[in-house]
Amino acid sequence: MPVSLDYVTRETASNLWRNRLMTIAAVLTVAVSLSLVGTALLLRQGVAHATTKWQHGVNVLVFLEPVNPPLAALDANVKPSSPGQGQALQQQLAIQQQLTTLPYVRTCLYRDQQYDFSEAQHLLPADESQALTVESTPASLRCVLQDPREAQAIYMQFHGRPGVSAVSYPSQAVKNMEQVTHILQWVFFGLALILLLSAAVLILNTIRLAIFARRREVSVMKVVGATNWFIRIPFMFEGLVQGVLGALVAALVVIGLHWLLDRLAHGSSLLYQMRLSTGEVFVTNFWVVLVGLLVGTLGSAFAIRRFLDA
Amino acid sequence: MIRFENVTKTYKGGTVALREVSLDIEKGDFVFLVGPSGSGKTTCIRLLLREEVADAGRIWVAGRDIGALSHWRIPYLRRNIGCVFQDFRLLPNKSVFENVAFALEVIGRPKHVIASQVPQVLDLVGLGRKRDNLPHELSGGEQQRVAVARAFVNRPLILLADEPTGNLDPATSQGIVRLLDRINRTGTTVIVATHDAGIVDQMRRRVIELDHGNLVRDQARGVYGYGT
Repeated sequence: MPVSLDYVTRETASNLWRNRLMTIAAVLTVAVSLSLVGTALLLRQGVAHATTKWQHGVNVLVFLEPVNPPLAALDANVKPSSPGQGQALQQQLAIQQQLTTLPYVRTCLYRDQQYDFSEAQHLLPADESQALTVESTPASLRCVLQDPREAQAIYMQFHGRPGVSAVSYPSQAVKNMEQVTHILQWVFFGLALILLLSAAVLILNTIRLAIFARRREVSVMKVVGATNWFIRIPFMFEGLVQGVLGALVAALVVIGLHWLLDRLAHGSSLLYQMRLSTGEVFVTNFWVVLVGLLVGTLGSAFAIRRFLDA
Repeated sequence: MIRFENVTKTYKGGTVALREVSLDIEKGDFVFLVGPSGSGKTTCIRLLLREEVADAGRIWVAGRDIGALSHWRIPYLRRNIGCVFQDFRLLPNKSVFENVAFALEVIGRPKHVIASQVPQVLDLVGLGRKRDNLPHELSGGEQQRVAVARAFVNRPLILLADEPTGNLDPATSQGIVRLLDRINRTGTTVIVATHDAGIVDQMRRRVIELDHGNLVRDQARGVYGYGT
């Protein structure tokens, strides 16, 4: 059944123009709600970046003295390339042994110097990370505890020991940030959901008006034998266009927000740690547009089912 | 071309619109369907268009049992049936040409077909010179001619007219019926549901009379009432 693009474009455009006020309302509602979704997604990724060391429930980090050349792995079977490296390996193995046998330590994951170096490259501002090399970056043991409060005990026990360069556990500030953003995220998503629902209802209503405005045409179309899809598609497209237009506005908001944060990041180390790559913003916007498309399609599909007898 | 086999249609609330109606209409026939309001004429037309489905019995159109037609095939049935209504059903914001072209456009006919068919059919109904007028600039008779042109532009096998002269004065009505007659001569089967005695008596064609859903008369060269 040939539904010409020309016909669909013409009908959709004229429908949108006829209901322009409703269209603007629907597009703006989609835009605001999807901006919230986008912001929540950005926030989530940003916080994940800033707290990347504490991901997967890590409660305490034991940094090991850097070894030059770096160890390939923390494993008794590794053949040391120099007596110094051999000594360091034995020392680090002993520390790992002691840590993992503590009753309140659940697991300890070893991250080598190369891994920590790459992570630091991302987390530290450029001037600090430039001074860093793989050889001067400490490897780390990242431990998950039965009870996070025991982190301080580990600090007392291992801080200043030979072979340990530093022990760190999340400060109250990091914990607060995680909690606040967690709550904020859900508030944003909740608001966005309500707004998306109202956007879908607004779209539904514009399509209903469009169907009502064209009921004569629709009845003639049916009598002369237009197929159901031929009748439905322009209405379907109308909702879809509204959803996507709103999503595109939201995508611009997300891009603007990313740009703004990037500008502000140089003044604040926290924002610097939260900054996102262009790829991540792109993926976020992909989701934003997809949700917009979905809301528009659902709104119009429902209107068509309910009000268009075709 | 059209066959009703013991067709019964009852609406919600128990109103019997058609009761055990059987009839045969050959290709190229011109048939008047007569009877008072509520006799079942419009139900016949709605059944033929598959706007309604019979409760019992079968309806065949061009060799197809249309009661068994799947939902998506209904539009293709309707492309074989042109339809004219008492209230014309023209689109007020489209010109005469656009109204007729619309019928071809929405079934996906290409532009060059529209460009050649529409002027032809407008000449046939005698409105070639009013192609750019809007419906409200035309008289009732002219509007109905546009509606006939729209129904016929796709060269359907069957043309249905439901009270086509119901809103027109007798002289204009005769013109419309002559037009339907001319279309019938091209081989199109024409069925006119009417309670306009004047046009039926003038034409002396086959008359099928319904009364309270019963087929009470099927006469080859009949008039509106009994007596002749």
